[in-house]
Amino acid sequence: MNFLSNKYFLLILRLIVGGTFIYACAGKLLNQELFARAIYNYKFLPDVFINIFAIVMPYLELVTAVFLILGIFKRGSSLLIIVMLIVFIVSLTQAYARGLDISCGCFSLETVSEKSDILLRIVEDIFLLGATFIIFIKSKPIIKQEIQQ
Amino acid sequence: MKRSLLKEIIIIVSVSVFLGFTMNIISPNKIPLIQDYSSRHQIDSASSDKQKPVRQFTKEGFVKPVNVKIQDVKKMFDEGAVFIDGRPPEEFATGHIKGAINIPYKEFKDKTVEQKLEILKAYDKEKPIVSYCGGTECEISIDNAYEMAKAGYNELKIYLGGYKEWNELGYPTEK
Repeated sequence: MNFLSNKYFLLILRLIVGGTFIYACAGKLLNQELFARAIYNYKFLPDVFINIFAIVMPYLELVTAVFLILGIFKRGSSLLIIVMLIVFIVSLTQAYARGLDISCGCFSLETVSEKSDILLRIVEDIFLLGATFIIFIKSKPIIKQEIQQ
Repeated sequence: MKRSLLKEIIIIVSVSVFLGFTMNIISPNKIPLIQDYSSRHQIDSASSDKQKPVRQFTKEGFVKPVNVKIQDVKKMFDEGAVFIDGRPPEEFATGHIKGAINIPYKEFKDKTVEQKLEILKAYDKEKPIVSYCGGTECEISIDNAYEMAKAGYNELKIYLGGYKEWNELGYPTEK
């Protein structure tokens, strides 16, 4: 499993995860009202938190993605991305199980109120979760890395 | 080591919260911090009273669509009200309320007011129009009704039970 530590491999993973997150947050940043509606459709969050979530979430995605790509605070941003992906996977799975007629609010927002391919999104998020997990465990704190060398 | 990770997380979250709230304040599309979503599914109790319910207006100035009970929906059906099904044509084709017209929300919402009025021109602005979709978990009935109300239709009714409930009750349907 040595290639997992290869710095180019890790860079590619960071670009994929970061790029996907930037792409995903773009639509939400431009239309928070629609994003709030997409969250509402999940019937997952209490009403009072929906708009606050819709206001902060896209920026959390953007900031973590940019930091991950630039290599700033790699551990912090990858851990936050892991948490976000777990939240996404759990909410998508419960929506799928309940058969809600929702848009997943994952990428483009033009499909709000329409069934989107939830299963595909779940699989996608699981892949991203795996990739981010590798980035997290391979981004050791600098001090520890020096000791190992 | 753990402390530095916690520090990184605190910094990232703070930056995001700051950006989120700041951008929301300066954005032309800003949203309120707390919004009441509960009224979307409240049935208007006055709708089944004998006297005509007083019209309510939204902040934007159009007449607020009313959520109505199944008994009232059936009554309006018997009286020949227009029924509008907001689902995609494929779903509409698998079965719908008898005589309903298919205006898919997905396409309708992006049309200009003129185009919307053109689509709706056959219907009276002051007579009940019932908007429905698949069933209770389907939000299209509400959204579609609001789009039509915004275009100037004043008697929009929302039937939340949708095709699912209608069909289960054995009321007239067609394919």
